[in-house]
Amino acid sequence: MSLPEMSALFPTLQEVIFVLFALLIAVTSLIAAMAPNLFHNALGLVATLFGIAGIYFMLEAEFVGVSQILVYIGAIATLITFAIMLTRGMMFGRTSAMNRQGLAGAIISGLFFVVLLGIVFQVPWPNVVADITDGEALIANLGALFVSTYLLPFELLALLLLVALTGALLLARDR
Amino acid sequence: MLQNYLFVLILSTVALIIPVAAIVLGHFLGPRRPDPIKTATYESGVETIGDTWVQFRAQYYLIGLIFLIFDVEVIFLFPIALAFERLSLLSTLAVVTFVLILLLGLLVEWRKGALEWE
Amino acid sequence: METTLDLSTLNLAVVLPELTLIVFAILVMAADVFATPKNPAPRQWTPWIALAGVVAAAIVNLSVSGREVTLFQGAAILDKFAVGLNYIILLATGLGILLSVKYIPRINKQVGEYYALTLLTATGMMMMGAALDLITLFLALEIFSLALYILSGLNRTSPRSTEAAIKYFLLGAFSSAFFAYGGALIYAGTGTTQYYGIAQVTAAGLANTPLLYAGIALLVAGFGFKVSLVPFHSWTPDVYQGAPTPVTAFMSVGTKAAAFAAFFRVMLVALPFSYGAWSMPLALLAVITMAVGNFAALQQRSLKRMLAYSSIAHAGYILTALAGGAAEGADAALFYLFTYAFMNIGAFAVVMALEEMGAEDAMQDRAKGLGKTHPIMAFLMAIFMFGLSGMPPLAGFYGKVLLFEAAVAGGMIWLAIAAVAFTAVGAVYYLRVIANMYFADPVDESADEVNRSLPLDVGLAIAVAGTILVGVFPGFWMNAFQQSMALFGG
Repeated sequence: MSLPEMSALFPTLQEVIFVLFALLIAVTSLIAAMAPNLFHNALGLVATLFGIAGIYFMLEAEFVGVSQILVYIGAIATLITFAIMLTRGMMFGRTSAMNRQGLAGAIISGLFFVVLLGIVFQVPWPNVVADITDGEALIANLGALFVSTYLLPFELLALLLLVALTGALLLARDR
Repeated sequence: MLQNYLFVLILSTVALIIPVAAIVLGHFLGPRRPDPIKTATYESGVETIGDTWVQFRAQYYLIGLIFLIFDVEVIFLFPIALAFERLSLLSTLAVVTFVLILLLGLLVEWRKGALEWE
Repeated sequence: METTLDLSTLNLAVVLPELTLIVFAILVMAADVFATPKNPAPRQWTPWIALAGVVAAAIVNLSVSGREVTLFQGAAILDKFAVGLNYIILLATGLGILLSVKYIPRINKQVGEYYALTLLTATGMMMMGAALDLITLFLALEIFSLALYILSGLNRTSPRSTEAAIKYFLLGAFSSAFFAYGGALIYAGTGTTQYYGIAQVTAAGLANTPLLYAGIALLVAGFGFKVSLVPFHSWTPDVYQGAPTPVTAFMSVGTKAAAFAAFFRVMLVALPFSYGAWSMPLALLAVITMAVGNFAALQQRSLKRMLAYSSIAHAGYILTALAGGAAEGADAALFYLFTYAFMNIGAFAVVMALEEMGAEDAMQDRAKGLGKTHPIMAFLMAIFMFGLSGMPPLAGFYGKVLLFEAAVAGGMIWLAIAAVAFTAVGAVYYLRVIANMYFADPVDESADEVNRSLPLDVGLAIAVAGTILVGVFPGFWMNAFQQSMALFGG
């Protein structure tokens, strides 16, 4: 084979990075679900969220990637850590992630995975033709969309946050 | 445009590898001669008295939760701020309504004493 | 990119009922904030402000009904279906508030937040019926779900209540994730999240079918959790039993009504051209749901758990109308949910009265001998039990008739027959309560004490009046709910 044909066999840099991110997400999410130490679970979650942010950047959805890091890791993962420290699980070191339904859960999740895999291979994925070159204007367009086409969901979001604030008052205070 | 992020990726990978390498190399290459004083927990100042595990205050959690909610608000306000010049009057009113609803929530939190520390 | 918003499409009439509730929720919060330890009076007003809000929203709903308009060309719609759903939600909310007036202060002093959250829950539920776009739908779903998770855990000193909140939250968050995944796959398969857009794409055959079907499956899973279909029902008994009873009463009707309304609208407006794909799976789900719901309810010793399993069975009945795929199914479901509101909340109100002081649940033994000790209460419960089991001439009978007619109209005759069979099985546990009340002797002395209060009595009166009147004059109500949904293409 000539050199161009051979180089087509090797994965592109983008594919390599994608596979690495996907591996990171898979492994750390398993840690987040199954590690015996509660704090390791939280750290696994943080690493998973970083991996997902990386995938967002690869899809050129920069705003979503940045908000993933700012909100998910910056606020939610911190909150989860606080919640872990509130419980006494940390004091005892080891907790078990499995209950008596581990086998049934594993079988059903495996089936779900197989079904999803089948769908992934069956779907006629369209080819992406256009390259996104807008840059900063993309985020400005997103902002304009929030208050034009998606105005109703935007205001509903304010209500949802208000519900969360009221819930914080009802449930999260020291008695 | 994706090329720009390659730099960020390489930087993060290097930033991850160097501390990990330092710890791992130190673990394997350093001499191991433990004695009671060396293995005691390092604490500058006075020796600790009593149990180190104290009950964590729920106030930390509440403040973190309120921070989360307003962080989400900021995330949504950010793109709107970028598009501010071309918004119509109706859209601007919608943004003001959004902020007002959350301001109302903050007001209720304040008056209910959720923002107190003690 | 077109970013200006045309003011002519700002048909505020679509969201006016919800806006009314939001304004009153703000008033409730204001009243709560102005109450100081020296002057606690404003906090006492909050239930009445909330009730006034419900009545005001109903009046607003009445005044905007009769038109068919969409908001912003496709974010939300106001048609007879949405108006009908609003009435059902407001009825459930009003009855729930009446039940809570004396109950809630006993378990949690923060009464103001409770009523504000109730009104916001109702807003989210009403929005579910009006949503015409998957994103709006998802946000409305999250609003009322989040509020209900919080309300379930209201009794902070009770481990049962906390358990209910955690179970509801964990499973609900999971189901919301499936819902979002399904919505995303539908978007990937059709290129739009608006119902009319999806219908257009599927009608023209341009949809990416494997993605679309996967999306529909996940969406059904998400909805199935909310309406307690089997096998997504495992949260229902524990949450219904653990949550404070007024919250359970409100939640049992409200979530079903809102989620079924959205379910019907998504399936009949957005996905009618995929009917061949989803009709049989939904029919099978309906059969399993009716089976598990009815047979499990037979074995319950706790009244609240029995009512929980009965509500699962009722979800199965309503699903038969959807599996038929006929447009009459939507009208039948609305009528059934309307009657269900009266009967179910009435039943929970009687359970509330039967709960021993400080307990959060009433066992079936508490109903024994009620016919002798409290004949009026027993009579009311008998009416609710007869109604739920579908006995004529009470409201439940006509509701079931309409539902099964809709299933037959869609060609699912076997399903209707199965549903009637399960209804007969279901009658057993309802009749057992009645038999306990009239033919058994009281278990112990505590049978003499029941919790009564004026608002509870008013709620009971409304519930029983509704059950009887809608049953005796069904024609008026059935016509009110006819041809309600605005389908794609007219």
